[in-house]
Amino acid sequence: MPDNPGMTRRRLVGLGAATLATASLSDILMSQAQAATTGAIEGIGYFARFGVTDQMIRQALSAALSKGGDRADVFFQHRINHYLVLEDGSVNRAFTNVELGVGVRVVRGDQTGYGFTEDLTAAALKQAALTAAAIADGPAREGPKELRLDRGLPSRYPVKVRWEDVRPNQKLPLLTGLNEKTFAGSPLIKKVNVSFSDQSGAILIADSSGRIVEDFQPMTSISLSCVAEKDGKRESNGYNVAARADMSYYSPERLDRMVREAVSRTTILFDAVVPPAGEMPVVLGAGASGILLHEAIGHGMEADFNRKGISIFSDKIGKSVAKPFVNIVDEGEKPAARGSINVDDEGNAVGTTHLVKDGILTTYLHDSISAKHYGVGPTGNGRRESYQYAPIPRMRATYMLPGPHKKDEIIASVKKGIFCTNFTNGQVQIGAGDFTFYVKNGYMIEDGKLTRPIKDVNIIGNGPKILEKIDMVADDLVIDEGGWTCGKDGQMCPVSQGIPTVRVASITVGGRGAKA
Amino acid sequence: MAKDKMLETTELCVKTALAKGAQEAGARGYRVRDIEVKWRDGKLEKIQEATTRGVGLQLYVDGRYASVSSSDLRPDALETFIADSVVMTRTLAKDPFRTLPDPALYKGQAAVDLKLDDPKYAVVTPDDRLRLVKEMEAAARDVKGAEAILSVTTTFNDSLSETFRVHSNGFSGSRRDTAFWVGAEVNVKDPDGRKPEDYSYAGSRFWAEIPAAAEQGRIAASRALSRLGSKKGDSAVLSMAIDNRAAGRMIGFLMGPLSGASLQQKRSFYEGKTGSTVGSPLLTITDDPLIPKGFGSRLFDGEGIAAKSMPVFDAGVLKSFYIDTYYGKKLKMAPTTGGASNLVIKLGAKSQPGILADMKDGILVTGFLGGNSNGTTGDFSLGVQGFRIRGGKIAEPISEMNISGNHLEFWKKLSAVGNDPYPYSTIRVPTLVFEGVQFAGN
Repeated sequence: MPDNPGMTRRRLVGLGAATLATASLSDILMSQAQAATTGAIEGIGYFARFGVTDQMIRQALSAALSKGGDRADVFFQHRINHYLVLEDGSVNRAFTNVELGVGVRVVRGDQTGYGFTEDLTAAALKQAALTAAAIADGPAREGPKELRLDRGLPSRYPVKVRWEDVRPNQKLPLLTGLNEKTFAGSPLIKKVNVSFSDQSGAILIADSSGRIVEDFQPMTSISLSCVAEKDGKRESNGYNVAARADMSYYSPERLDRMVREAVSRTTILFDAVVPPAGEMPVVLGAGASGILLHEAIGHGMEADFNRKGISIFSDKIGKSVAKPFVNIVDEGEKPAARGSINVDDEGNAVGTTHLVKDGILTTYLHDSISAKHYGVGPTGNGRRESYQYAPIPRMRATYMLPGPHKKDEIIASVKKGIFCTNFTNGQVQIGAGDFTFYVKNGYMIEDGKLTRPIKDVNIIGNGPKILEKIDMVADDLVIDEGGWTCGKDGQMCPVSQGIPTVRVASITVGGRGAKA
Repeated sequence: MAKDKMLETTELCVKTALAKGAQEAGARGYRVRDIEVKWRDGKLEKIQEATTRGVGLQLYVDGRYASVSSSDLRPDALETFIADSVVMTRTLAKDPFRTLPDPALYKGQAAVDLKLDDPKYAVVTPDDRLRLVKEMEAAARDVKGAEAILSVTTTFNDSLSETFRVHSNGFSGSRRDTAFWVGAEVNVKDPDGRKPEDYSYAGSRFWAEIPAAAEQGRIAASRALSRLGSKKGDSAVLSMAIDNRAAGRMIGFLMGPLSGASLQQKRSFYEGKTGSTVGSPLLTITDDPLIPKGFGSRLFDGEGIAAKSMPVFDAGVLKSFYIDTYYGKKLKMAPTTGGASNLVIKLGAKSQPGILADMKDGILVTGFLGGNSNGTTGDFSLGVQGFRIRGGKIAEPISEMNISGNHLEFWKKLSAVGNDPYPYSTIRVPTLVFEGVQFAGN
């Protein structure tokens, strides 16, 4: 158990953050991934290569319901993660991680029984199912007589070339090219690190209604970071991008942007001043500032906290929580976005959910347990880190729709405050509503103009109070291309976020300088 | 006794890697049995039980290096996986600094029983687990002011973890450890609409020594209730005490900059400071891997290097970095160990009440919220909650505040250390007091 365990802490971290430093991934398993799918049957196409059969699944679901659970599902996963790392000028290390396993869940009301195994045999699967079944203690229910493949899935992240078919030597030039260009970007750059990752594989969900869905969920990301030196001082920073896409995602324009941003975000830190301490107006730049929404409202709207009555938003549905021009959504439909999914990890359809519509709090983010609790349809937010975890309500891509103001007009409106552009991480307390996000880059705003750069400052506020204080929203919505990962109950999930330029009338800035 | 099947698999991984073309290889196999029971507001919320297992390999092929892992242990699949991994490793750039550790460093493991493995692990029954989670809820609901409680969630967790490490240059080690944890989380209703939460967790290596479950319920409820009416304070420079449960986060920030990787990659504000004063004379921290029943205890580290005690800070002077084999070679420094075990802080004489009485005026931080620390420059900025201290006593609760500073200045302002090390973490830190800390609030 971690040092700071428990459900009171939600974390959002960027790919460049230290939490990923120890993850291990790379390139492999060609042979398995391309193995002949002999014995493949309807619906179990991918997993047939591991000996999974229709009968095995039906038996497991029957065992899962043998003590009277309301419903049950099985979640098969094969995920191949590859990492390539460039350090000191060469791509000199690779990491690969292969995950293969199956989880069985039994639900009775709000209660969950869960078991999983890496051993994809009928006996092991049945044992996991019996373990999960123990959440209930009634007469057995019948499992599904037949399984039907759900063919209605959208295709939000088609790839021309699957990652299984990309050899390492096709990827290496991406890393070495970024390294060279970053050093060329400024004579102040002393160290460059590049890490590349790709992910392939499949999930299969079958439930006690007899539904089977299968999805292939590719992912790739590059994190570029650098250290610069000037007058005996050092600064580090970087830039990262992520998407459910193939190699074609790494266009020359994107790679150039990565270099430009990483270099400028690092070298500008030498000129940065310490921002003031205390409450002041804060303008959040379009894009990555969506971290505000993730922390200030997104987690609090996840319906597991609300069915338990412990979210600060629990009694606010239908009430005005923000100015009428504030609209906040969570959706999984954006083509190739890191937070997009064709289907959630319970097999439910994924669309767009309005958290706030015209300033009114509208809809929670549901998994199937909370949807049943509230008597509403699922919203497709039931997600999990892997087969080792039961699904819980999670965000996908969370952002604010464009508003009536202009960016320039928003900045010009602030006499003394800060403008934030780049963030590393955030956290929220679900019940108290207090949240933070850490600003890596930004500027002072003095007399309506951006002046001196700032760095390394945490901002802290209270969710509902800050939503009310968003008093200007621009028309320049950007969905951030960064590789955001959200942590909840010990489970990590890829997410996206975005926002137009907005003004928060007043929020506490954790600086060290004197307040004006 | 028959050889453990996972040890056989681990040995086979090394053998296969060599057969497929690696010159050196290391492997780690693991099997973890983990059971969790979660109870919420009078009924079971969740039960989860599973045994997970997998292997990881470090491959040294023609002067190149890769690290790979898999949970697919079907023999044919594993062999193919290793063969493909060796081929993949050959596509990388050569790296002359990659080798297995010097076998001399494997020698000299301490001849002590760390008492990490409870032979009675298996005696715990489903009824035991249920009894503990119920006890915690009952205790939480029995504290004064419990009518403000919105929800109580309690958890029992037990695990048995077995790992095997085998290196082609002569290392073979295994480890078996058990752990039992009880925890409670409580949400309360504040008349102002907020629903503050707090928690308490405690654990042990031995079932017979599991901390009192009821106590966790009481602490979680009392701490959550103490948050009622909390308000943002004014921005000010004040003395700060950090309670022992929260203080580990501040020490954790020093671990990254103390690593060989940060040092070699010019990302450490401690570069060039070995032997220099970087903290107050009260700052003495030792990395001690040999504490019986410790949560970070070990006889050998992640590379197989025999574990021994290491001074990290001594009376404010920086003594050691965490140097693994790879970065040791890059830096031309002798390897120490690649990662922390148990961090033990030299204690003061006073309990927290005594320390607060001496401090007289300031803020007691009981929890951090978000924030970050820049390992390259030492700048940090963190959300905090806690209590105002007035006249040496705990006064009104504060929240939604922030502290900022720089580690190279901050640790020199350490002015008092308590006698109350936090026992349920690898960082055994007592209450700490710092002078002149910038708080941001109103």
